[in-house]
Amino acid sequence: MSTEAPHIPTSPGAPPLVTGNQTFASVTENICRITERKTPPVWYLALGAAMSLLLVLFGSIGYLFWEGTGIWGLNNPVGWGWAIINFVWWVGIGHAGTLISAILFLLRQRWRTSINRFAEAMTLFAISCALIFPGIHVGRIWVAYWMFPIPNQMQMWPNFRSPLLWDVFAVSTYFAASLLFWFTGLIPDLATFRDRATSKIKKYIFGFLALGWRGGNRQWRHYELAYLILAGISTPLVLSVHSVVSTDFAISIIPGWHTTIFPPYFVAGAIFSGFAMVVTLTIIARKLFHLEDFITVNHLERMNKIILLTGSMVGYAYGMEFFIAWYSGNIYEQAVFLNRAFGQYAWAYWIMISCNVIVPQLFWFRKLRTSIPVMFIASLLINVGMWFERFVIVVTSLAQDFLPANWDYYRPTIWDISTFVGSFGLFFTLFLLFIRFLPMISITEVKAVLPQADPHQGGSHE
Amino acid sequence: MNRPEKTYWQSLDQKRDGKAYRRRLLREYEESTRTPSQVSRRDFLAVMGASLALAGLAGCRRPVEKIIPYVAQPEEIIPGIANYYATTMPLGTSAYGLIVECHEGRPTKIEGNPHHPTTRGATDHLIQAAILGLYDPDRSGKVLHTGAEKTFDDFVAFWLEQYDTFINNKGEGLAILSESFASPTLARLKRQFQNTFPKAIWISHEPLDNEHIRQATERLAGKTLEPRYDFAKAGIILAVDSDFLYGEGDHLIAAADFASRRGTADAHGTMNRLYAVESAFTVTGSMADHRRPGVPNMIGNYVLAVATELKRRGKYPYDDLPGRLHGALDHAWLKAVVDDLVDAGPDGLILAGNRQPAWVHELIIKIQSGLGQVGSTVKYVRRNDVSYSRLSDLNRLVNNMRDGNVTTLVMLGGNPVYSAPKDFGFASALQKVTHSIHLSAYVDETSRLAEWHLPRAHFLESWGDAVAIDGTASVIQPMIAPLFDGHSDVELFSLLATGTAERAYDMVRTTWQDKIKNDFESGWRRILHDGINTTDGNTSEIVDFRPDANLDITIPMTTPTTDSLDVVYIPSALYDGRFANNGWLQEFPDPITKLAWDNAALVSAATADSLQVTNGDLVLLALKEHEVRLPIWICPGLAGNTVVLPLGYGRDTIGRVADGVGFDTYKVRLSDGMYIARGATLQKTGETYVMATTQDHNRMADRPIVREGTLTEYQEHPEFAKEMVEHPPLKSIYREHDYSTGYQWGMVIDLNKCIGCGACTIACQCENNIPIVGKEQVHHGREMHWVRIDRYFAGDENDPAIVHMPVPCQQCENAPCESVCPVAATVHDKEGLNNMTYNRCIGTRYCSNNCPYKVRRFNFFNYTSDMPEVVRMAQNPDVTVRFRGVMEKCTFCTQRISRAKIKANQDGRELVDGEVQTACQQACPTKAIAFGNINDADSHVTGLKRLPRNYALLGEFNTKPRTSYLAKLRNPHPLLERRAKKTGHDIDHG
Repeated sequence: MSTEAPHIPTSPGAPPLVTGNQTFASVTENICRITERKTPPVWYLALGAAMSLLLVLFGSIGYLFWEGTGIWGLNNPVGWGWAIINFVWWVGIGHAGTLISAILFLLRQRWRTSINRFAEAMTLFAISCALIFPGIHVGRIWVAYWMFPIPNQMQMWPNFRSPLLWDVFAVSTYFAASLLFWFTGLIPDLATFRDRATSKIKKYIFGFLALGWRGGNRQWRHYELAYLILAGISTPLVLSVHSVVSTDFAISIIPGWHTTIFPPYFVAGAIFSGFAMVVTLTIIARKLFHLEDFITVNHLERMNKIILLTGSMVGYAYGMEFFIAWYSGNIYEQAVFLNRAFGQYAWAYWIMISCNVIVPQLFWFRKLRTSIPVMFIASLLINVGMWFERFVIVVTSLAQDFLPANWDYYRPTIWDISTFVGSFGLFFTLFLLFIRFLPMISITEVKAVLPQADPHQGGSHE
Repeated sequence: MNRPEKTYWQSLDQKRDGKAYRRRLLREYEESTRTPSQVSRRDFLAVMGASLALAGLAGCRRPVEKIIPYVAQPEEIIPGIANYYATTMPLGTSAYGLIVECHEGRPTKIEGNPHHPTTRGATDHLIQAAILGLYDPDRSGKVLHTGAEKTFDDFVAFWLEQYDTFINNKGEGLAILSESFASPTLARLKRQFQNTFPKAIWISHEPLDNEHIRQATERLAGKTLEPRYDFAKAGIILAVDSDFLYGEGDHLIAAADFASRRGTADAHGTMNRLYAVESAFTVTGSMADHRRPGVPNMIGNYVLAVATELKRRGKYPYDDLPGRLHGALDHAWLKAVVDDLVDAGPDGLILAGNRQPAWVHELIIKIQSGLGQVGSTVKYVRRNDVSYSRLSDLNRLVNNMRDGNVTTLVMLGGNPVYSAPKDFGFASALQKVTHSIHLSAYVDETSRLAEWHLPRAHFLESWGDAVAIDGTASVIQPMIAPLFDGHSDVELFSLLATGTAERAYDMVRTTWQDKIKNDFESGWRRILHDGINTTDGNTSEIVDFRPDANLDITIPMTTPTTDSLDVVYIPSALYDGRFANNGWLQEFPDPITKLAWDNAALVSAATADSLQVTNGDLVLLALKEHEVRLPIWICPGLAGNTVVLPLGYGRDTIGRVADGVGFDTYKVRLSDGMYIARGATLQKTGETYVMATTQDHNRMADRPIVREGTLTEYQEHPEFAKEMVEHPPLKSIYREHDYSTGYQWGMVIDLNKCIGCGACTIACQCENNIPIVGKEQVHHGREMHWVRIDRYFAGDENDPAIVHMPVPCQQCENAPCESVCPVAATVHDKEGLNNMTYNRCIGTRYCSNNCPYKVRRFNFFNYTSDMPEVVRMAQNPDVTVRFRGVMEKCTFCTQRISRAKIKANQDGRELVDGEVQTACQQACPTKAIAFGNINDADSHVTGLKRLPRNYALLGEFNTKPRTSYLAKLRNPHPLLERRAKKTGHDIDHG
């Protein structure tokens, strides 16, 4: 019994998943070559830029530790600002990877093979960026570890009723599961790298990482079973992480936060933004590394369809929030939503609506969703829009809640901005290191979707 | 399986049993195998050394300094237990009887003296903030002679030379400029001085004063009298440009008495009715049932109209009213007021504020007489031992100075260079004086121009005495030796009068020899203990008032226009500026504008529109040849084409707190318009200025926050406040906690009594070591006040009503803050308190986000790190000082609860109702805050919670707050109420 995706007949006329008349050897060659050739100068340039941003992040955090959270634009009604927005945004982006790897794997979507490695890496790096923020946004950073259930002499446990604690567990579990899943997927490819390694050091490192992979039949059977199990474990996590993150808001009493629609709405939004980020990065990578044969327009189009679907779900949620606010008869809820659309932060709201609801509608048209420039710009706009969605949720509800005497206006400071911009430094630094040293496309999985891998052309043995 | 016995080994070294391994093993375990008794002395010292080094590291948080215990412990001082002493705070001719809490000899908190008639246990923000003023490190501690440091002995030597000179010429060329005072000892020394130097000039000056009223009595009765109002008796009050509840006179008792007629216990009670006509928007105006904005110069016309109407009804028995009135007056309003005043008769009260000119006061006194109010709701009293401020005296003095007739000028307190009318040219006249001496707490504007500057002791550091308007004399006793080598007023007065610096203590005792009849020592001790002289030897004379002079009416003929604006000068949170270096007062949000750390030119919305200015526009305000540059702030409800200027800001020399804050409005204060001026112009500069306000939104947005009704509505629908919100049954999905046993703390705030004065805010700040954060942080919305006063405008923008709502932590039983804290730093206790564990808090701010009342305050920075050493002495040792990154909030003064419980426990009894008072409750002049055990069916607070107008703020969210509110009631005149309902004008109830 094979646990690899069963052979689903490709409908006649459907575009091939890999083009360019690839053979097994050419696949290995094309993907490995990227890491084995001499480092291109442009990589150094890019890494330099990313690490400069990383320094901005370190500098901002250092100053934050020194002075306190007062350096940010927070005030009394608005206790959470960019830090939490950025956290939710990065976590959201981190959703696409595991969704592509795990859920699409279980759903036998073979087109995922060209992009899953890439998307999983992006997930890990996005979550790394996200994890910075809850850690540094607290007032007394030096005791932030009290969020973890560490046995101590006071017999003091964290408050298990607090959604922030759920966050700690949800996000760290997700990160751990994603890391394992990603690493497991890498093992055969790492073995390929080991076998092709030209220097002793490389051989040693890749050999260590490949965990003694020999490609034997028993190994494959175990491997595929493990992969399937991990996919099974990861699948609920994709749904749970952002559901739990959404409870940070949904559990609270604040109008505009206290709503049951949040978990599905957040998950849809997360997948939406995650796919947009994958599209953005994929377009760049396939162009730079000439991977058009592996990541075809077909792949991108499929992702755009998911973007269209989740974008419409998010749009539906926006509308439903308004309906419920009206239908509930709760004056505070109503006021918050009117404020969102027409109040002091209306500009942010309409940026969100334009980017998240209107822009994806372009993908109804085949011509547009297969056009690289269109989808590139659209994916960027969607990520902007999704950042503003979190801004609208976090800030507008807090800035104008129950008692008008408390109302205030939140505006970020230079340190809010620099910390956010700096987090891109971390993201791209990790990403650049990834594409330089590891196979950004799964060699083994791509080989499995080549026509040669299925000599029966989808037919059965019987 | 046959398993061979295994030998476990850790490493190959061990397996091979190598020598090296054994050596290492020995080294590793040597330390721990040695028993404690084997610890050598050397090791012990080494370990101790390391501990000390660690202690040094811990010193980053806790200073390690040598402390010395009492060699001989004073009998009455027990470390950790506070001592309470009575004293008196003099302010102008007022005297506030106080009880001061001292910890190990340092005063930390001021309360009103319940036995003293001017405070009755209450305080205001100025009194509360006096603690911080005491520890102000910017207070002067040096004697300066032309800027160079000298000793006090140098000054005494200098003065003795002067003394000899002036003894010979009977004081020719000697002038004294003091603050006004009401003090037996100071008055005695002044008399002594005048006997010694008959030709010397002694005048008093106060920037804020009730001189116009005294002028009126002088004209009408030939005597200098002051009014004493009885608001407890007054059922109908017409306040004409008067802020009797907050800014004028003995406002603490006025507020208490006024409120005593306001908080109707049940639906059958009665209430007083307050009409107010005023140019500024005052706290008094905000409490009015009917308020009219009136152009300051035209307000006299309102009084004239009232008099004319009364005359028509035969209630004004004098024939001195002019026939024609200028300015339109609302007839329905007039009719309602006059009806009420006539009906009330001697139980009515018409009064005018200090700002109104003397003729208005004359007219007021005549109306009062005609209605029989004199002797009933108002008594005119002649005060002994008082030195009054007279502007004409100051004018005469400055003229003498300018003409070179003054060789030596002694300024005892005050800051005339800053605050004297600018057309007098005090500063330039001061240059003509050969020797000038200034006693002042700060090296201020006057000190810098004077030859000698002498540091002045704080009242909490000095001996003295004071006498209140009802004649109650009380002693000012020091709580602490002068921190900065200051010298008290009595000391200086004595030096001036006798040429010897007597001890102030002896001088005061000498004065009181006459007042204490029998055994002086025991009587004296009794007075020091009680704070008042019960065997009162100084009762004021109550003069039966007979108006016999004709009214000297000077009616302004012009209404102000945008080219010729009226100007009103009002006291600010800093009073007249003397408290400018007090951070608590600087950060105290003005009760009406909610501005902190600034003053501004206040204008109405309509005036701002016609002048085309808006909040924060810097303008040039010119009055004759004088001008000041300051920002605009729109305050709804001001009279049209009127600019209201709060005084006391715009300093640049006196201290770290005051300097550079606000704008000096004294620059445009002239002698012919000390309180009300005409003909000002306003010009935009095109620049803008950022101001910090603690409340950005002034409307309630149609939410049932402050629930308000009329007395009639209350009588018809007692439950109206509760019925303003419909909600599903309040059921929790969790099992509710049982709070049926033990003490269960609860609070009730009566919105009908709260006047919004903010005394509670500062009392809380003092009690709970709340830091000040500065203008920038306030602008960011990071002020730290644990109890804030929300102020909402209602109704028409040009004639709005104001409601105040104090909001401390509501101590919810179902506290939204508690469930979201990831580290359980905020938790409930058995007594229903929502506690904050600062040590556990990591600062996620989630609790604050989830607080629907937003009463939690976050330490965004380390706000106490740069607190000067001496200010730390002001801190309450019973309350933790919070570090950066920690959330804090109102605790219902948990330290006071604990203290009382410990005491009750020692006595082996239960706490009695009223034994625990929160700081806000204790300070409140109107007793609007009640606190106690809601499990006790007989407690005061439980009784109030049973009232039909009791409601929970946002109670529909089932937060079950322990703090509840009593709905506000207004008592409008039925006629005006009907009209208001018809036109949607006047006061809006919502």
